[in-house]
Amino acid sequence: MQHVILGNGIAGVSAAEAIRRMDPRAGITMISDEQTVPYSRPMISMLLDGSAAPEQLPIRAERFYEDLGVTALLGKRVDAIDLQARRVALAGRAPVPFDRLLIATGADARRVEAQNDGLQNIFTMRRREDVQAMLAALGGTRRALVLGGGLVGFKAAYGLMKRGCRVTMLITSAYPLSMQVDETAGKMILDELLHHGLEVRVGVSVTAFEGRTSVSGAQLSDGGKVACDMVVIGKGVTPALDFVPLDRIDVDLGIRVDKHLETGAEGVYAAGDVAQCTDIARGRPWINAIWPEAAAQGRTAGMNMAGRAVAYRGSLGRNVMRVFDLDVMTLGLVDPPDDGTCTALTWQDPRRRMYRKLVLRENVPVGAVLINAVEQGGVLLSLIRNRAPLAIPPERLLEPSFNVRQLMGWG
Amino acid sequence: MKQVVVHPERCVGCMQCMVACAVAHSRSGQLYTALAERPRPRPRVHVGAGLYNEGFPNRCRHCDPAPCLLACLAGAIFRDAHTGTVLIDPDKCINCASCAMACPYGVIRFHEDPVAPPGKTVAVKCDNCDQRVAQGLAPACTEACKSGALTYEEMDEAMRRKTAEVARSVSTGAETAAVPPALALLMAVKKAELSL
Ligand SMILES: Cc1cc2nc3c(=O)[nH]c(=O)nc-3n(C[C@H](O)[C@H](O)[C@H](O)COP(=O)(O)OP(=O)(O)OC[C@H]3O[C@@H](n4cnc5c(N)ncnc54)[C@H](O)[C@@H]3O)c2cc1C
Repeated sequence: MQHVILGNGIAGVSAAEAIRRMDPRAGITMISDEQTVPYSRPMISMLLDGSAAPEQLPIRAERFYEDLGVTALLGKRVDAIDLQARRVALAGRAPVPFDRLLIATGADARRVEAQNDGLQNIFTMRRREDVQAMLAALGGTRRALVLGGGLVGFKAAYGLMKRGCRVTMLITSAYPLSMQVDETAGKMILDELLHHGLEVRVGVSVTAFEGRTSVSGAQLSDGGKVACDMVVIGKGVTPALDFVPLDRIDVDLGIRVDKHLETGAEGVYAAGDVAQCTDIARGRPWINAIWPEAAAQGRTAGMNMAGRAVAYRGSLGRNVMRVFDLDVMTLGLVDPPDDGTCTALTWQDPRRRMYRKLVLRENVPVGAVLINAVEQGGVLLSLIRNRAPLAIPPERLLEPSFNVRQLMGWG
Repeated sequence: MKQVVVHPERCVGCMQCMVACAVAHSRSGQLYTALAERPRPRPRVHVGAGLYNEGFPNRCRHCDPAPCLLACLAGAIFRDAHTGTVLIDPDKCINCASCAMACPYGVIRFHEDPVAPPGKTVAVKCDNCDQRVAQGLAPACTEACKSGALTYEEMDEAMRRKTAEVARSVSTGAETAAVPPALALLMAVKKAELSL
């Protein structure tokens, strides 16, 4: 059996390991345009803020591919999939035949539509080399402009502030991370960032960049201007699937897969940021482009490819971040629709800067926000995942003393 | 292979396991000197209170597959091939709390630790006392537990004992209670207090 895996991110790596565990003799080929031992993509933001060194990024041993018996074709970009001939076309190389194929190509950073966006020192932040280029430009950077207050925009701003740059962030909502957190938590995060010197402009976008070879400023939609010598674009990601035959493989937000992570084309699977699954909390198709789901999907896809039918229960959005002295964790649906189907409970202790919120749909937990004291978050996550109605008063889950014992009956 | 077995119904909430665990993971390994150490030695087992205030020694289950291991962003969590224990490499840990978000039991804490690089906050959890076990000792929490809530035994043996206890407790004329009488009394008092 010849398995071909496109992408060496955590989804591809987890799939290769699962296949190998189940089938010691299967042929496995991994193809990626990134030329490295698998590394931690989230940690590139720590490379930027200086808390991690480049040699800390790899998540597997130097000899990962050899040890796993994987043929690695690195530095090669996939151009097309030929489903008839069952092979993958690569630039400047003979096509690679497959019996089972996994598409785990992740996502690319979205660019912005603005004049002069080809100037130097305008970056997106998705790959290790993006951050390496930012670090090389850091010496000449005093003022940075970050477009977007999503996870990547926030991490870029945080890293550049830690490096001593003056940072201005342009966001469309009233607070950063609006896709991840609710308003109360969002405002707490905003206050914390402002307190540490971040400048935030709400409701404006960039219409044009200025500069000769390198960026020196930006013109804004409200007619204003910002001087800057670096720009980071954090406007989200789009699934990397331009090589996918759209007539044969169904694409909606991402590549559509069934519960075994198989696409509409037999023997072709998809996992990670490129794949669209059902969101457990929302109950509808969604992409939760996060590391733990990419790992779980890759692992499940690998088992299915190796012949063991394993169902994937759907994905759940979640994030945890430390924002200076604020620990923030969000799970599932934190900003429920205003249609009366959900109720929300909150608990706050301003003195200890603690905030908790639980979102329920008919007594089934579907989302939570925790600010500070986040250690019990995993217990809440597993409750949300299990979709079981609560057997104890929901207020108990918000108390700082909540622990897993309370979910059991009387001993 | 022997392992730590938790019997929640026997826990009286005395927290001796926490003290023993903290001492076992201190630099000196001695209670009186451990008290003065910096960073302060901290336990990896956590006694929490249940709905009726009953105690519960909560510790890492070393799950397989382990959700924390699969969620770790830095590749710092691994399973020891020999003992099966899930361990965290303090040099690789980036203190991102992704593991806390994954752990269904809430047993991971974040603080400085004698085994971590000085001044670095890392994720810390039960290591099954692998080092003590390698020296022929039992895990510290089981040694300290006097109510039988934490035992160190073969899983098969524990299951057999449990089955026998249940059988005895449902058969008429049972002489041995599943929980020692003094403990049962204490539990009953606690429960009665709460229902008042
Ligand atoms: C700065 C940053 C911070 C983040 N922080 C967090 C966090 O804190 N927590 C969290 O859960 N998630 C975080 N994420 C998201 C997380 O990194 C992703 O969800 C995860 O990496 C997805 O893994 P994947 O394997 O699906 O895709 P990827 O990691 O994107 O891997 C896909 C691979 O395929 C390659 N590829 C793409 N197209 C082709 C092609 N045509 N031919 C050949 N190769 C191709 C890519 O180059 C890449 O190497 C962060 C992401 C970024 C960028």
